[in-house]
Amino acid sequence: MSYDLIAILMFSTMMLMLLTGQRVFGAIGFVAVMAALLLWGDRGGYDLAFSAAMKLMKWYPLLTLPMFIFMGYVLSESKIADDLYKMFHVWMGGLNGGLAIGTIGLMVLISAMNGLSVAGMAIGATIALPELLKRGYDKRMVTGVIQAGSSLGILVPPSVVLVLYAMIARQPVGQLWLAGVVPGLMMAAMFILYIAIRCRISPELGPVLPPEERNIDRAEKLRLLSAGMLPLFIFASMMVPFVNGWTSLVESSAIGAMAAFLAAVLKGRMTREVFENSVRNTLGISCMFMWIILAALAFGAVFDGLGAVKAIENVFTEKLGLSPWMILILMQLSFILMGTFLDDTAMLVIVAPLYVPLVGELGFDLIWYGVLYTITTQIAYMTPPFGYNLFLMRAMAPPEISLRDIYASIIPFVIIMVAALTIIMVFPQIALWLPDYVYNK
Amino acid sequence: MTQLARSYIHRVDGLNRFIGRLVMYGIFVMMGILLWSSVSKTFFMPSLWTLEMAQFAMVAYYILGGPYSVQLGTNVRMDLLYGEWSPRRQAWTDSLTVLFLITYLGILLWGGIDSTIYSFKYGGERSPTAWRPYLWPIKVIMCTGIFLMLLQAVSELLKDILRIRGEEI
Repeated sequence: MSYDLIAILMFSTMMLMLLTGQRVFGAIGFVAVMAALLLWGDRGGYDLAFSAAMKLMKWYPLLTLPMFIFMGYVLSESKIADDLYKMFHVWMGGLNGGLAIGTIGLMVLISAMNGLSVAGMAIGATIALPELLKRGYDKRMVTGVIQAGSSLGILVPPSVVLVLYAMIARQPVGQLWLAGVVPGLMMAAMFILYIAIRCRISPELGPVLPPEERNIDRAEKLRLLSAGMLPLFIFASMMVPFVNGWTSLVESSAIGAMAAFLAAVLKGRMTREVFENSVRNTLGISCMFMWIILAALAFGAVFDGLGAVKAIENVFTEKLGLSPWMILILMQLSFILMGTFLDDTAMLVIVAPLYVPLVGELGFDLIWYGVLYTITTQIAYMTPPFGYNLFLMRAMAPPEISLRDIYASIIPFVIIMVAALTIIMVFPQIALWLPDYVYNK
Repeated sequence: MTQLARSYIHRVDGLNRFIGRLVMYGIFVMMGILLWSSVSKTFFMPSLWTLEMAQFAMVAYYILGGPYSVQLGTNVRMDLLYGEWSPRRQAWTDSLTVLFLITYLGILLWGGIDSTIYSFKYGGERSPTAWRPYLWPIKVIMCTGIFLMLLQAVSELLKDILRIRGEEI
């Protein structure tokens, strides 16, 4: 049997096993160890799984994963973001659609304090959404705003998705994170622009706050503005030592986690229950990620051993005669397509080991591709029928928002994200100038 | 037989829950090591041991915590079809597919034990870094964790069998 055929067989067996609904790490790990045993016998075959565990241990940046998950849980469980929302509420209320714009701002700040989209989603759906609906905002628009805004969590540093990508692509996490900053802010700006224009044309979508709600005295306004300092402080405590080279990325993540924890304690929000939930959920989610990575590394090792990537590349360039750019565009399209029916974590571990080395072979910059990859994941998160964010939204949103509303709400935002993706594909400098500037000064 | 299964489930789940709840505070251990590392690096001599110690702590954290995360149900499944099935059908499918999981864990443990035995030979395998720690303690911890994971997977299988037979767990 040729190696390409084995690779295809492994891939389809894994897809089939995933469909049975067994735990993802079990399905991937099983295919990996069986393939290794069948290919290389019990010499070299059986220790593949465990050497993946040793490889995982030696990959130092992975330590950031539990840190950022913990940070995210502390922030969302302790509800220290409430004040942040109030700040935007008071300062932006005078504008048509101002609260929706404020919500995007809130999401950017939350994204800068944690690396997953779940925390932003939880805060958006439980704090911002009911308030916006009460003020007569169009429900489809605000549902879209929260979903699109929270997806920034995986692009703006710290980002867990980019940590995982870095491991698979063997690229430095620091540069990847910096590469995510400008595209993240650009996308947030595009969202804001869209909301502003949309509400300009049809003001009934986002009515101005009644004057009695806006006439809050200056002292109170300033007090609320200081709430905005908290995330900036947490973000700075993490990024300043890192960018200046005083601490490594991993050490910075621990400082950030500590800062978030202390902020919650000082604000008197760290109750027994919050503490228990944050610590327990951190263990649960970290274990979920780590065991999947463990299995995916074994799977990737078999793929490497087969030279499968080289074989697939040959099919595209030699046999089909496609240019690298054509292949890249085809890959992004298939990625979005897969994202519509695949679970997000499954996507991350299945698609990345296959696509990332291929992109490298084609001669593209892997840091730049990391940003494209993350935006595509964001889009995949949000596209029906199976998007992680869609289900989360369904679970957290008030009952008057139906699944149909949620599906309809994301359409304009997905179009904006595809536009952002295209812009970054055409102008790689948007992603690359910041890491270049910081690392080559 | 049912009695035996119940007592197995009870004991294994109890043990893994205890261990899991203990290691979940490991997040603070990791944080502590890393903070010490940043402090010592900035103000006095950089410590040699922090990097690897943090790595060992992380491995212990996720491997020993694994069985508890299975109990908590945080391990994602692809629920495209699975989510639509009845609990009975889920239990049937799970009781078959959990054998994949058990096979994987078994081979993982096999490789682990082999690697641990190697670490004890030739005066003990050391990590090739400046600190040069022995590697057998972490490997023993990893094997223990994988073994506990295996016990937990069997416990899940027994639970599914009880569910199919319509008995209480």
